[in-house]
Amino acid sequence: MPDIEFNEEDVLNRAAQGESEAFGLLYERYIDRIFNYVYYRTGNLHDAEDLTARVFQRAMNHIKNYTDRGVPFSAWLYRIAHNLVANWHRDRSRRQEIPINDVPILPSKGDHPERNLVRSQEEDALLRLIRRLPPERQNLLILKFVENMSNAEIGAIMGRSEGAVKSLYHRTLLALRDQIGDQKINLDGE
Amino acid sequence: MKKSRKEKTGNEDQLFALEEHLADTLKPITPPSELVVRMRDRIRVPQREEIASRIDSWQRLFLVFGGVMSGFVVIVTIARAFFYFVGRK
Repeated sequence: MPDIEFNEEDVLNRAAQGESEAFGLLYERYIDRIFNYVYYRTGNLHDAEDLTARVFQRAMNHIKNYTDRGVPFSAWLYRIAHNLVANWHRDRSRRQEIPINDVPILPSKGDHPERNLVRSQEEDALLRLIRRLPPERQNLLILKFVENMSNAEIGAIMGRSEGAVKSLYHRTLLALRDQIGDQKINLDGE
Repeated sequence: MKKSRKEKTGNEDQLFALEEHLADTLKPITPPSELVVRMRDRIRVPQREEIASRIDSWQRLFLVFGGVMSGFVVIVTIARAFFYFVGRK
């Protein structure tokens, strides 16, 4: 397995010295995670592709500036992605929004293909509510559920303590629950 | 007392159910392979910094500048000659 031989520190050093093959290894390792993050933040396949490519372009151009200060490389990448997505939302706010229903459905990992063909109305409604949350709360939910990260890992990316992440998560759940109640959305699909 | 405990349990149940729905909705997705290849190709395109680094030495910059100026002079000379021969008629 390639993971056994993957020494991130060594690969990062080689990439920082301009070795494109080393950066290719980092790309292979993180492409799925960054794409997932950008895809859920934008809800748009084409923009997700464009922004993901730009995240890696920017990372490649500035990898010499990356210094390991206890922050994982993934956190650095997520911060680049977060900034680019924020710029994208700012530019987009001047233009018309694409409804979340228009978002193409991509195959989920470990899922039955037929499940992907139909995204339930409840999931659509929940996604719509998530996209109305403030950006940092969206980040938190994506990192927690899509990336399956712990509060400590999320804290490293968001620049918050583990306790602050836990508290923010709880407040986010309460806010979502209230919005679901306000809009009378039935998540049980009955 | 019993009522508040019941409410608390109800709240926790609601949040637990919401977490389950979130887990069902926010699932990791696999980017299509052609998209991954396309993005990889895009990343290999030389960036501004790379282009700038190619002309960082003054000798090379001088050559490029000289080349551009020479080309410009040739184009102006041809244009003047063309105007001289065609414009006179």
